[in-house]
Amino acid sequence: MNDTYYDRPLLKGPHWGSNVVTYLFLGGIMGGLGLIQTIAGSEKTPEAIRLRRDARYASFALAVVCPPILISHLGRPERFLNMLRILKWRSPMSLGVWGLVAYTGAAGANVMRELADEGTLPRWMRHLAPKVLNPVQALLGAFIAGYTGVLISATAIPLWGKGKTHIPAASVCSSASGACALSSLLSTLGGNHTVTRKLERLEMVAALGELAILRHFRTHAGPVGAPLFEGERGERFENYTVVAGIIAPTILNLIGQVVNLPKPVDAVRTILASTLTLAGAYVFRESLIEAGKLSANDPKAAHRQPQ
Amino acid sequence: MPGLGTSMGRGGATMWVPDLQNSDCILIQGSNFAENHPVAFRFVMKAKERGATIIHVDPRFTRTSALADLYAPLRSGTDIAFLGGIINDVLSNERYFKEYAVAYTNASFIVNADFKDTEDLNGLFSGYDEETRAYDASSWTFERNDDGTVKSDPSLQHERCVLNILRRHYARYTPEMVERICGTPRAQFLQIAELIARNSGRERTTAFAYALGWTQHSAGVQFIRTAAVLQLLLGNMGRPGGGIMALRGHANIQGATDIATLFDLLPGYLPMPSALRDEQTLAAYLKTNTKPTGWWANTPKYMVSLLKAFYGQAATAQNDYCYDYLPQLIGDHSTLPTQIAMKDGVVKGYFVLGQNPGASAQNKELAMAGLDRLEWFVNIDSFETDTCAFWKREGVDPRTIATECFCLPAATILEKEGTMVQTSRMLQWHDKAIEPAGDAKSDLWYFWQLGKQLQALYEHSTDPKDRPILDMTWDYEHEDEHERRRGEPSALKVLQEINGYYTHPEEGARQVKTFGDLKDDGSTASGGWIYTGVCPDKRTNNARNREPNDTTSLGWGWAWPANRRTLYNRASADPDGNPWSERKKYVWWDQADGRWTGYDVPDFPLTKAPNTPAKPGAGGLDAHSGSDPFIMMAEGRGQLFVPGGALKDGPLPAHYEPLQSVVENQLYSQQSNPVMREWHRPDNRYNDPVDEAFPHVMTTYRVTEMSGIMTRYIPWLAELQPSAFCEIDPDLAVRHEIRSGDWVVVSTALGEMEARALVSGRLRPLRVASGQRVHQIGIPYNYGKVGFATGDSPGALIPLSMDPNSSIHEAKTMTCNIRKGRRTAYRAGVVDADVPVSMRTGHGEWD
Amino acid sequence: MATGFFTDATLCIGCKACEVACKQWNELPSDGFVFSGNSYDNTSELSGTTWRHVAFVEERAVAEDTVVSAWSMVSDVCKHCTNAACHEACPTGAIIRNEFGNIFIQPDVCNGCGYCVVACPFGVVDLIGHVDPDGVLYNLATLHDDRREAEQTALQGSGGVAGKCTLCYDRQRSGFVPACAKACPTESIQFGDVDELRERARVRVETLQARGVDASLYGADDVGGGIGPLNAFFLLTGEPESYNLPSQPVLPSTRQAHGYAAGALAALALAAVGFTIFRGR
Ligand SMILES: Nc1nc2c(c(=O)[nH]1)N[C@H]1C(S)=C(S)[C@@H](COP(=O)(O)OP(=O)(O)OC[C@H]3O[C@@H](n4cnc5c(=O)[nH]c(N)nc54)[C@H](O)[C@@H]3O)O[C@H]1N2
Ligand SMILES: Nc1nc2c(c(=O)[nH]1)N[C@H]1C(S)=C(S)[C@@H](COP(=O)(O)OP(=O)(O)OC[C@H]3O[C@@H](n4cnc5c(=O)[nH]c(N)nc54)[C@H](O)[C@@H]3O)O[C@H]1N2
Ligand code: SF4
Ligand code: SF4
Ligand code: SF4
Ligand code: SF4
Ligand code: SF4
Ligand SMILES: [Mo]
Repeated sequence: MNDTYYDRPLLKGPHWGSNVVTYLFLGGIMGGLGLIQTIAGSEKTPEAIRLRRDARYASFALAVVCPPILISHLGRPERFLNMLRILKWRSPMSLGVWGLVAYTGAAGANVMRELADEGTLPRWMRHLAPKVLNPVQALLGAFIAGYTGVLISATAIPLWGKGKTHIPAASVCSSASGACALSSLLSTLGGNHTVTRKLERLEMVAALGELAILRHFRTHAGPVGAPLFEGERGERFENYTVVAGIIAPTILNLIGQVVNLPKPVDAVRTILASTLTLAGAYVFRESLIEAGKLSANDPKAAHRQPQ
Repeated sequence: MPGLGTSMGRGGATMWVPDLQNSDCILIQGSNFAENHPVAFRFVMKAKERGATIIHVDPRFTRTSALADLYAPLRSGTDIAFLGGIINDVLSNERYFKEYAVAYTNASFIVNADFKDTEDLNGLFSGYDEETRAYDASSWTFERNDDGTVKSDPSLQHERCVLNILRRHYARYTPEMVERICGTPRAQFLQIAELIARNSGRERTTAFAYALGWTQHSAGVQFIRTAAVLQLLLGNMGRPGGGIMALRGHANIQGATDIATLFDLLPGYLPMPSALRDEQTLAAYLKTNTKPTGWWANTPKYMVSLLKAFYGQAATAQNDYCYDYLPQLIGDHSTLPTQIAMKDGVVKGYFVLGQNPGASAQNKELAMAGLDRLEWFVNIDSFETDTCAFWKREGVDPRTIATECFCLPAATILEKEGTMVQTSRMLQWHDKAIEPAGDAKSDLWYFWQLGKQLQALYEHSTDPKDRPILDMTWDYEHEDEHERRRGEPSALKVLQEINGYYTHPEEGARQVKTFGDLKDDGSTASGGWIYTGVCPDKRTNNARNREPNDTTSLGWGWAWPANRRTLYNRASADPDGNPWSERKKYVWWDQADGRWTGYDVPDFPLTKAPNTPAKPGAGGLDAHSGSDPFIMMAEGRGQLFVPGGALKDGPLPAHYEPLQSVVENQLYSQQSNPVMREWHRPDNRYNDPVDEAFPHVMTTYRVTEMSGIMTRYIPWLAELQPSAFCEIDPDLAVRHEIRSGDWVVVSTALGEMEARALVSGRLRPLRVASGQRVHQIGIPYNYGKVGFATGDSPGALIPLSMDPNSSIHEAKTMTCNIRKGRRTAYRAGVVDADVPVSMRTGHGEWD
Repeated sequence: MATGFFTDATLCIGCKACEVACKQWNELPSDGFVFSGNSYDNTSELSGTTWRHVAFVEERAVAEDTVVSAWSMVSDVCKHCTNAACHEACPTGAIIRNEFGNIFIQPDVCNGCGYCVVACPFGVVDLIGHVDPDGVLYNLATLHDDRREAEQTALQGSGGVAGKCTLCYDRQRSGFVPACAKACPTESIQFGDVDELRERARVRVETLQARGVDASLYGADDVGGGIGPLNAFFLLTGEPESYNLPSQPVLPSTRQAHGYAAGALAALALAAVGFTIFRGR
């Protein structure tokens, strides 16, 4: 007898396009920024405080744009509200939505605090955002950075299922490095150079972590990993995410750490490194989704689903 | 259905569908049972679950084969060789049911010494006339005693007894020969022969099921005859789970043949009067058509009652019951000759309803070109069919067609009431479920209104030639006020008239209860004697009955004749009237009661005891003994040998190659049926036999998902088989670099068609003759140009030709070629687009 | 108690009456008119608008001079899993287990997120796209107003919701057998109480095996991977793969704990590094 059914797909691939990819990308960074605002907030220098403020503003801005992007992919946008009918522990998407709502709340409150501190809003309003919201935003941010990885690996798609640990971990790393990159970019543009170096150090660690996870994933996945690591899509992933998005900016960042470049040159280097990291992070999400579609079409992989 | 009629007496399936579950073995050959009769197939599945062996023999491995226990391939058109091989096997190994065959068939009858067999004349029987391509059948008769009875030798020793003629006739149909002709591997053939023999006899019964795979051939009737001979020899007729299940086509095709769409039959299988025979008066007609012995001795009762039903009070003994109102045949007016006559400008007007020849006709272009030349054309259908759209078909300029077309909307089955008669000869009434959409009307409406208008038009005529119209009984006013307003006639009244009634005014139009009560003195009227009993009184409509039970469900619907399920069921008991075996008990003689009894309505005079002797010289059934079960036959016996030219191509089936074949006849020098009908003309070109240009066998059939227009327009069905396709075997596909889904062009001398290739291992090349590899190409015929599922229909490739007995075309076997690609322009062999307008419309020099 | 299906490949004649009856009852459109070239299967798969699909399994490599002997068909459908991935995944609660124990999508709650689609280990459920604006695919089968208003069908105008077998929820509520089972001429599709069906299936498979048929049950018992028994299960001849049924399906939610743990670990590690970088100068 035949080992597949006329080589036809067994599974249904995701109906997810660039809007979902964009959400995964921006949402991840948003989550990463939640971490950074807390980490930065742990240091009391004016530069760090400025960084915290920037991170809070940026994450709130992203929290405002993310839901519409997410909703735009629903066949019937007005029914986004149906997500809020229930909370379901077994559904990462349900948890994620509530996480997003909570994160938006925390980020909003923290921004309000910033604005109240600044004097743009009445000072009493800072009491509406107690200090605990700072670590809360970090925790929620870490969740946001990682749940999308859980969301896609808790599906039947063989590639994604195979990456049940790798994908969430790599997502967190990629979100963190992306958030660092965005923050360095903002800091450099805002002339806040001192923190940039630190951000870049963290970014390097996150990027190298991501690289290690991805390399391990490749061997671990074997043939199931083919849609992500091989063929045209594999090449794109290798070139944009691994080489241009991880290795290149890491080298650039390393240079920044060890060589004392003139300020304008260093600014250009940071801008370049950050852009590369961000672009790589986008292609990472895009590759995951698109490779997932290919993986769904491979009946042989789908017959024996990863545990 | 002359194949069954000449063998057993009636042209219908001998069993009813649910009885298949009582079979021990079912041979499905010449039908794709599961695909084309899926609901009936449940009973085959039930038999299988009860342990029966299901065998399928077909050129292709189909969904039926998939469910069968055993499948064997054969080359299309060679079933006589295959079944003849089994007959030979059964006879030479003495495995036939001897007691049954001797008592119930004409096995022991002595054939006239002048008779010459195909073995003697190399493929011809005695009496063949080269000139007229017809047989003089006077030598195909039995020797008779002085009292007129047939000479017989029950010891079967006489060398001219039917059984021994049969032995010699099939002696060369050996397993080797079967393999050479059919391409069926010998081992499989022997296995099937063994299974059939083992599952026949006293304790067990085998049923055969066939449909178009046996009819659409130039010797189709003889295909079915071969099966009948075998079933009679094996003692399977008239017994539970035994017999021949003729699977009919369209939902009401059985009813249509009963009451009576065939050009040469009146309702109830009475012959249509013919100017070519001595039938100018009623007396002459009755003389020609009344058999002195057997059931057909009753012909006068049925004919007079029919005329009374047609013409009512006007029909009297004095005026021959208006017999001369009936038209008389002056030739073969069946479909194909009529199409040719249309093309030749002889026929000027045409009604088409419930049919779509624009897709289903053979030599489709000839048929459509015939419509181009008509003066008027009426189409009654629920859809715009390919036929209805003939004037805008591919390759034709509408401006060249002058035919006046009337396309009228037909109500569908759900939108009207009436009966349908299915394959078990069973009438089932259906009510109207919804109002017809728009202006749609029932077919009954159209004809009733047409008759009424004609009567109104001629109301004041005194011309005798208008009497048939004025005198016809036409009183079918609907009982229901709403329907009456809509002008719908009462289908129930039509059925009641077919059932029959007493004509004497004092009888108050009482219904006749059984056809035994019909008279030839004008006191009864019946529009179709075989249905008498369906409405035995004004309040009863037995077609409405819906009470199933575990045995014969006599309370479900009503089957003709006399609500009988299994025909010839007297044969389920032995000559003494006892069941052949307890296991196969069905109808038997109850000594105490002095009558026949059992699970079914006995197919025998109820109180005629088994030991009743035949009365030589007597008429009707008195000429039969109490152990002659085939009451319709003159001798009361099943006919292994059909005497007297009742079949035009021979008393015994012999293997002939199809007209268009890839090999020479391996048995006789006579290549194909010597008396088949052919038309050699430029618009009906044939492929030569064994022509290298057309090296493959081609066959056509249908698929479950499609019927025709009705399915092509329904998206749910159209998506299931969305395109015309053509099934080819992988070896042929490799040879032509064809992959599944590619376009291919199939061609014959007549034309070309294109279709998507479906490459499948279910088709296999066969080794025939001296090892030659034959590829068979299969093409579903269900497609056409309108609807969602579309494509070319193979009708464009198939020239007209006819079986001599049934006038059925040979659409199941021909030869063809195949290539990868698309067809270019439309090539039909008939239409020449450059012909000036005047000629195309039939008014030019062509006439 | 739950209702479900026992679908028996050895009784299936491939007539597709079940496919058509399902579409007719549920007023689903055709999926288009595509000739696949794969045996007699042109609908090819279950989809948002094809809720029964008959698979036709042909031997693809036949050696020369042999006669084919098998062609299996089976009617595939939503498995109404004991632990249903779609049910777990659905973030809106549109997918419920109804009073008959069937997995049912409430079309008025579904928001078209598509998560159930990727969650189903059997490739069953799918999103329904925009439904046939010009009525071409529907033609005769236009959506009935009453049904549309009662939101009994997935096809509420604009589409964009998930669709799969409802196990004829509406028919069951009225005491009818599901349309597909009703239409099946050979009782290849049997509907009823699953416990009873499982019992029947076990007897059937034994009978067949005794007759020498290579028959096995798929999903009558736990299929593994955390899914449990299927409430629509099958009797097959040959391997499940050849019918496009996964031999080793997995309930995807069983992977979540690993995922969250790995993510948390990564986040913790990075946070630790981050704090070190910012705090220790
Ligand atoms: N779904 C569906 N069902 C239908 C119809 C339909 O259009 N669609 N049409 C109805 C009608 S009108 C009819 S008449 C019946 C016909 O019912 P069937 O006779 O079952 O129909 P076919 O498919 O024409 O042919 C039957 C088989 O004959 C095989 N065959 C071809 N040549 C030969 C031969 O020489 N010998 C043998 N033994 N077999 C051969 C073909 O491969 C095919 O499988 O079906 C009825 N049922
Ligand atoms: N090559 C090839 N040709 C064949 C065959 C083959 O096997 N091979 N098979 C032959 C056989 S057996 C047959 S039966 C024919 C079938 O061929 P047709 O009878 O020409 O085909 P159908 O498409 O079934 O046509 C039936 C028509 O009746 C209409 N109709 C349905 N119900 C009603 C009604 O109540 N009233 C009216 N007025 N119309 C109605 C339908 O809409 C449809 O247009 O094809 C024959 N042609
Ligand atoms: S199409 Fe109608 S007549 Fe034919 S099998 Fe189906 S239900 Fe019976
Ligand atoms: S088969 Fe798929 S769609 Fe059906 S219940 Fe199971 S998980 Fe849900
Ligand atoms: S598409 Fe609908 S049914 Fe599926 S998970 Fe989303 S909301 Fe639930
Ligand atoms: S149960 Fe109803 S919805 Fe499900 S496949 Fe059968 S007919 Fe379709
Ligand atoms: S209706 Fe029954 S026999 Fe026909 S395809 Fe469906 S499951 Fe098979
Ligand atoms: Mo037919």
